[in-house]
Amino acid sequence: MTTPSSSSSNPERGNASNGSGAADRTAAAGAAARPAGSITGRDAFLRRIAGRLGRQAPLAEPPARPFVGVPERYAAIRPTLRERIDQFEANWSALTGTVWTVAATDAAEAVPALASRICAERGIDRVTRWDHPELNALPLDAALAAAGVAVVPWRDGGVAPQDAPPGDAGSSWSRRSPLLRAAERSRLGIVWADYAVANTGTLVLLARGGRGRSPSLLPDTLLAVVPADKLVARMGEAFEAIRRDYPDAAAMPSSINLVTGPSRSADIENDLTIGVHGPGSVYAIILEP
Amino acid sequence: MSHTAHHGAATDELAKIGSGLKKRTELALGDEFLRKAVAFTTNKLKTGRLKAMDDFGDWETWRERGRAIREHVVSHLDYYLGQFADNVAKAGGHVHFCQTGEDAVRTFLDIARKAEAKLVAKGKSMVSEEIHLNERLKEIGVEAVETDLGEYILQLARETPSHLIIPAIHKNKQQIADLFSEEAGETFPAETKPLADYARRRLRNVFLEADIGLTGCNFGIAESGTITLVSNEGNARMVTTIPKIHVVVMGMERLVPTFADVEVMLNLLARSATGQKLTTYTSFITGPRREGDLDGPEELHVLVLDNGRSAQLGDPQFQPVLHCIRCAACLNVCPVYKHVGGHTYGSVYSGPIGAVLTPLLLQDYKEAGTLAYASSLCGACYEACPVKIPLHDMLVQLRHRKVKLKLTPAAERAAFKTYATAFGNVKVYKMASKAAYWLQQPLLRKGAIRRAPGPLAGWTQSRFLPMVPKRSFRERWADLQRELAQKPSQPAGGKKEERS
Repeated sequence: MTTPSSSSSNPERGNASNGSGAADRTAAAGAAARPAGSITGRDAFLRRIAGRLGRQAPLAEPPARPFVGVPERYAAIRPTLRERIDQFEANWSALTGTVWTVAATDAAEAVPALASRICAERGIDRVTRWDHPELNALPLDAALAAAGVAVVPWRDGGVAPQDAPPGDAGSSWSRRSPLLRAAERSRLGIVWADYAVANTGTLVLLARGGRGRSPSLLPDTLLAVVPADKLVARMGEAFEAIRRDYPDAAAMPSSINLVTGPSRSADIENDLTIGVHGPGSVYAIILEP
Repeated sequence: MSHTAHHGAATDELAKIGSGLKKRTELALGDEFLRKAVAFTTNKLKTGRLKAMDDFGDWETWRERGRAIREHVVSHLDYYLGQFADNVAKAGGHVHFCQTGEDAVRTFLDIARKAEAKLVAKGKSMVSEEIHLNERLKEIGVEAVETDLGEYILQLARETPSHLIIPAIHKNKQQIADLFSEEAGETFPAETKPLADYARRRLRNVFLEADIGLTGCNFGIAESGTITLVSNEGNARMVTTIPKIHVVVMGMERLVPTFADVEVMLNLLARSATGQKLTTYTSFITGPRREGDLDGPEELHVLVLDNGRSAQLGDPQFQPVLHCIRCAACLNVCPVYKHVGGHTYGSVYSGPIGAVLTPLLLQDYKEAGTLAYASSLCGACYEACPVKIPLHDMLVQLRHRKVKLKLTPAAERAAFKTYATAFGNVKVYKMASKAAYWLQQPLLRKGAIRRAPGPLAGWTQSRFLPMVPKRSFRERWADLQRELAQKPSQPAGGKKEERS
């Protein structure tokens, strides 16, 4: 058995979000730039390409672009909020997902109640959730605790090591992280969507700090809260906003995940199989203004 | 090259891309399950694609935009690769430019040795198949496990993918149950649910235990140094979340300039591949985990591979083959692929795109160039291609190149030379058709040749060769002209027996 330690070898080092409502930008700014990586074999490789393309040396200036991105007519489509909610609902449901729409003002009651309902219906006793200021502000943990459900917030120290014993499986690396072990044992992951895309039925989740990659991936059920003002018409609008917030590669979240329905496969004789590696059941709560 | 182990006999001859083609075709055509499964799946994917295109509207505009973006990137690849590499490094990742497959393999082995890795969890990566990485890892004692369900099935069966999107398209449930039962030491029924559940449990342990996560790259985004990965199962997310090291192996052409452009490609890819509006999971990976992140890899390595790709640059006929986004729509509409499946091609990439890409990447127009004949040149591949690659033209050009390099058999060249002489000169042509009429006489049965001799025997295996008529069309045409001149009021037409 590996004893989790607080030494510097612990992968869960770093600044845990204190849940004080730090905005996205602050989270990004707080992510200290890593030392830059290395590039090997570049010059000969690019010279060869330039030569094949009929140039003396690799192009140094950005080439002119007569067009960028999606066709202009598509980019001009501007559905109303009502239409966006309807589209998201139709797409998410078509992928076997569940959508609830509640008034944002009722979030404090509705979100904990719906989360408890999922746990009751599916017999879930352990939940991992993002350490997100908006989720922290809801009486979610208390409601789930009252229903006998253990909640692990995704933050350093979010789970006591004795509550996440290392199982048989796992490399020394993955066994070292009590959080990862806890997420692996959780059956529900709760996240707060950074954006959602109406015309494909997609959640956009930016991983950083307390908003880990694992909670939306390892448990077999996923619940996402989607504020309506983050529900965009098409994915390109979310990309624009992300690029605006993080213009520099060094500051970009290391992983941005688009989630469109449950994990699925058709690899066994074309039979649609749900929940192959990721969550097989997916729920979304839209908070309407 | 790759195996055709599903036929049991992976003989040396079968394993040769070109010369084994005919034998593999015969075996595939004799495999009824294979033919039905491939036809069913490709039809389903094709129907899904057509519906998704329909829902989207204005598909041609999208296709043209996709083509234009890919063309722009590939013709400015020196700039965009430089920009991409700078940004990957800025975000803390390491970029390794690899001229050959061997360079990429060695780079990967170095990373694995340095990390003292024992287990590599693989997301779906065609490039890793292209460079035969698994075998080389095994040589240094590192196990590589495929985590895409279809690829995992094939790894247990020791076979190669037969479709870009649904690699185990040719396996039935019973075969899969047998493979899993042998692996697990318990007996599974031939039912989807228990089989998928077993794979989930088994592969979850692989994700947790792996020292390195390996993925391909669907699109690299130059403006931010971002790796875009799509998967429906979520295995690409797993291998980029849990292991300590993430290694990306990517073809050098897989770039788009900006996030705005990747929106176009993601829409085209999902709709063309499976008819989905968007693949279940799309991950954008920019560098390794940041300070304060509590999961994700500590190290990110990006291996950018040439391996024959740059030879296509500047070649006006074949440069567009680098526009391919690996959606497999061309496989799903190809009448040849539909009948013989992917293994018949004997190469990592199958179907129309494989028939073009394989000889080009290998620079082998003789052996691999034979794949260009595994096509009816109907052009369905071009119609289906979301980035408008003229695959059918390229197939003709490859045949042309093979002939020009004198790589076709001497007898064939002589035959076509004779043919060209006969059809290039009216007098010779007339004489030849007269001669043909008389020469065919001993072979005729009931007005047709039912069993042709020599190299023509293949033609009459499943159809008759019509007889050469006594009077040629030219002679009949002259008669008809005369007849019309005599009776201008009569509708055109000849005597009945002249219509055969």
